Amino acid sequence: MLCQHCQQREAIVQLSKIENGQTQEFFLCELCAKQTQEVSFIFHPAIVPEFLQALFGFNPSSIEQPSEISCPKCGITFSRITQAGKLGCSTCYETFETQLEPLLRRVHGGGQNVGKVPTRRGVTLKCRQEEKKLKEQLQVLIQKEAFEEAAVVRDQIRQIEQAKGGEEHDA
Amino acid sequence: MMRKELLLQRSAWMTETDSPVVISSRVRLARNLEDFPFPHILSAEDASKVEQIVAQVLTEIKVNNEQLLYIPLTELSSVEHQVLVEKHLISPSLGGLTGARGVALASDHRYAVMVNEEDHLRMQVLLPGSQLSETHRLATALDDALEAKLDFAYRESQGYLTACPTNVGTGLRASIMVHLPGLVITKQVQRVLGALTRLGLAVRGLYGEGSQAFGHIFQVSNQITLGKSEEDILTHLEAVTGQIVEHELQARELLRQQMPLLLEDKVWRARGTLQNARLLSSEDAMHLLSHDRLGSDMGLLPKINDGFATLIVNTRSGCLQYILDRELDPHQRDEERARLIRGAMSEARCTIHEA
Repeated sequence: MLCQHCQQREAIVQLSKIENGQTQEFFLCELCAKQTQEVSFIFHPAIVPEFLQALFGFNPSSIEQPSEISCPKCGITFSRITQAGKLGCSTCYETFETQLEPLLRRVHGGGQNVGKVPTRRGVTLKCRQEEKKLKEQLQVLIQKEAFEEAAVVRDQIRQIEQAKGGEEHDA
Repeated sequence: MMRKELLLQRSAWMTETDSPVVISSRVRLARNLEDFPFPHILSAEDASKVEQIVAQVLTEIKVNNEQLLYIPLTELSSVEHQVLVEKHLISPSLGGLTGARGVALASDHRYAVMVNEEDHLRMQVLLPGSQLSETHRLATALDDALEAKLDFAYRESQGYLTACPTNVGTGLRASIMVHLPGLVITKQVQRVLGALTRLGLAVRGLYGEGSQAFGHIFQVSNQITLGKSEEDILTHLEAVTGQIVEHELQARELLRQQMPLLLEDKVWRARGTLQNARLLSSEDAMHLLSHDRLGSDMGLLPKINDGFATLIVNTRSGCLQYILDRELDPHQRDEERARLIRGAMSEARCTIHEA
């Protein structure tokens, strides 16, 4: 359905105006809805069935700002995510971590993942995590000029890297 | 196996079990490929690539010593889409989408993997009766087999990453399909099922979101997917299922004790109508089949051999037209539906239920 005002863009806002007990309904696009300055609008359930928009706290006043951050991998902005009720790609979870946090808390109660770890990649994930931790340790030790201990950590990192190289070779 | 033969095959979940209330158990896992955006913003070209990659792996692996058959949805007619939806093998939304997408099926339909629905992969295992743990075991084995060849999007803190944040974490949706005529007739269903939403569970009708509970059939599933382990989610749903079954059986006993004649009348009337009607609408059929099933479960009626779930599904408009291999207008459907049910209900095809 096209916006009843501009007749150009898709209508996504249902505007119900009650005057002297009479209800008038308009179907508008985001922009026109914003421009009407009417305060009380609800979404037309047939056009926007996603209850997720409500969860995301979507409202047309948060329409895409030119300065908004977009996901480096898929290019989606958070405004578009709230409109679609869906993220763009797996990297979005990282890009919009702060914005997603309250939503995930509302839906799932705020826990961290305790479910299944991928069987094959789980091993690699654990290695990567271990490597990251050791590299951080190494930096600290070097700064402290504790070179003997640093050498031990460096060897541990090498071991992990070699194991990883071996795995890739096997695959 | 030819496509028509595969689609017409009686799905494993429709097999009769000795569970009087739980019709089927389902586990669905949502997974995405790391290197592609989620389906709703995929370009046509990338959607085809995803389909190609996933379909290739799906047909390479073996589950339970069997190869799955991948069917691109673009090759199917709208009636075939409908058949898959009615058998619970694809979601209505997969049929409604356009572009490269499809489903991989096992010959008895216990495995069904949707490609490019809301997520790149939606693997489903659907078994008859109450067997959530076994369902989950099979789904995990399928997941492992696919994960050996595909890189799924995963983060330690958030688990499996999904297009919609309501599925993130385990990506697991476990559900049971229950037949609750006793609770509906004794007007307790609202009270019993209403309480479930406060326990983090969702209740829907037979055909998914927003559908009414025709045939007194309801689906109960977990809502929370993050912050709980798969085992916790399943244990919770199993415990609640046990409670629902208990309530339903109590309601049936209440009916037997307090209004035995009314109950007998209801179920025999249903049997009589099903055996003799010349026109049956889809809702009528489901309602009567539900009462008939209640009667045979309670030992009041001879059991029908074809089974409740099979008749419910085969008399839906898509399946009916596919079985008869011709297009039917709504009036013809009512006629053919009544004919199919009369056939299944003929005396010779019913056996006394030894309760």
